[in-house]
Amino acid sequence: MGGPVWLSAIFAAMMLVVAVYCAGRLVVARRWRRPTELDTDGAHVVMGVAMAGMLVSGLRTPLPAGLWEGVFGVGAVWFGGQALRARRGPVTSPWRCLHAAPHLVECVAMVYMFLLFPAAVVIRSAAGQMGAMAVSSAGSRFSFLALLMAVFLLGYVIWLGDRLMPRSPALAPAAQPPAASVLATMPSGAAAAATGSAAAATTPAAAATPAACHAAALAPRYLAPRCALLCKAAMGMTMGYMLILML
Amino acid sequence: MSENVAVARVAVARVGPADQARFAALEPRRKLQLALALVWLLDGILQFQPWTFSKAFPQLLADSAQRNPAVLAAPITWSAGLIGHHQIVLNALFATIQVALGLGIACRASVKYALGASVAWSLGVWWFGEGFGGVLAGTASPVNGAPGAVILYALLAVLLWPADTDPGAPFVAGRAVGRRPAQALWLVLWGSLAFFSLTPASRAPQAISGTISDMAAGEPPWLAWIDSHAASALAHQGLAASIVLAAAFAIIAAGIYASARSVIIVALVMTVALWLAQGLGGIFTGMGTDVQSAPLLALLALAYWPSASASTSTTEAVAGEA
Repeated sequence: MGGPVWLSAIFAAMMLVVAVYCAGRLVVARRWRRPTELDTDGAHVVMGVAMAGMLVSGLRTPLPAGLWEGVFGVGAVWFGGQALRARRGPVTSPWRCLHAAPHLVECVAMVYMFLLFPAAVVIRSAAGQMGAMAVSSAGSRFSFLALLMAVFLLGYVIWLGDRLMPRSPALAPAAQPPAASVLATMPSGAAAAATGSAAAATTPAAAATPAACHAAALAPRYLAPRCALLCKAAMGMTMGYMLILML
Repeated sequence: MSENVAVARVAVARVGPADQARFAALEPRRKLQLALALVWLLDGILQFQPWTFSKAFPQLLADSAQRNPAVLAAPITWSAGLIGHHQIVLNALFATIQVALGLGIACRASVKYALGASVAWSLGVWWFGEGFGGVLAGTASPVNGAPGAVILYALLAVLLWPADTDPGAPFVAGRAVGRRPAQALWLVLWGSLAFFSLTPASRAPQAISGTISDMAAGEPPWLAWIDSHAASALAHQGLAASIVLAAAFAIIAAGIYASARSVIIVALVMTVALWLAQGLGGIFTGMGTDVQSAPLLALLALAYWPSASASTSTTEAVAGEA
């Protein structure tokens, strides 16, 4: 049963790439003053390292599980607060995540996995290599929660996929051609770049006045929105995989 | 400059709620496509579970050949043997294909290609992976997933195809193929479920009870409790249970021509009961490779839900003609 060994290694490698890339985003964003979601990127750096350690024992950090739980608990509180703030009113900083709920679930999932990880059964292949992780009776009481989180995160990946082609004509709201055309003339518009989505075309800010559009065009571009989106998708898919393994 | 930044910030800040509004404004067909994409992605991830890399997986595929006509069973046995010999590579490929189908349907640029590929893939898996859902083997029962979960993916792909043959159809499923063909497909599908409810695989005294109790093994306690109690309640009641099931499916099948909304609510309730009887597809056992047929039947039912937008477009079309 060598499959899960290399599969875990692939997922772990992907998580390390995400962690390194997100760390790079933090550095580049600071140096070039380009907006990025600092909280999301920071969380993904930590999550990437932690998940790689869970997937492959050789990559496990010497940090105790309790510390990881604390870190992700704080992350859950932060993103929970952001989600509540977003309900009260729009997020006013381009440096914070716009959609906190998925990252809240990611943090809760990390706490869940670390809580159950000591009870996880390490499946070893005939060659004695590290295999995938699975939980037997210890986690079965909460397996429905794991399934819910996995489905939510995979649903988030699908939602991100739906936003991946911002230039698709299907995305342009036909009801608001003026706004869409204005947006099309904003190659460096922060509004369009922030999510890589033409949804900004429906915003009052984008459609307000030529002066406002000009001002938005002068604002620094959001840092590599598609790469950010791909990182989020990779994170969601890997976490979904790990949660499925823990059912 | 500070004014510019402030404006840009406002623009960025508005994107979040606008995105939510955009999702809410997605047309119903696109929402159902995304739901189908999610099921494909979940299936792909389930296919990556360690169990599918074990020898038990090709054995399970080979077992599906049993009692099928020899001409159809031979390729199933052959493919199971091939998978057994190259299991790591082929199983990883199968899982990757399903993940790719899910992501492909999610991306607007590739939705047509992915839906088309999903039809071909589903038909292949229906034959080589599910042995035609036991339809030809006489083992098909709605409780064990007849007519085969994977064929429902193909049906959904056809009904959710991004074309507007009948833009004024009162439900999403009718837009791509036309309302009459869509209604006929509904009739055939649910009618076949009614038929399979009355076959010996369902009406034998312990058939339904035995199928449900088999699902309880390895499930979490709460689900095992539901399944074991349902199984004991239906013990030796196979005939009565199959008649009730068949009657319910027949009403659902024919009801699409009468009151679509109430029929679809009944269909959704039935799918919930079916999914519980199917042990939620065995996902919690670590051996489930898909979500089973019930969630797909629910998705299909939602595709027949009378949509306000369709009514609006119909009204607009009528007004335009006038």
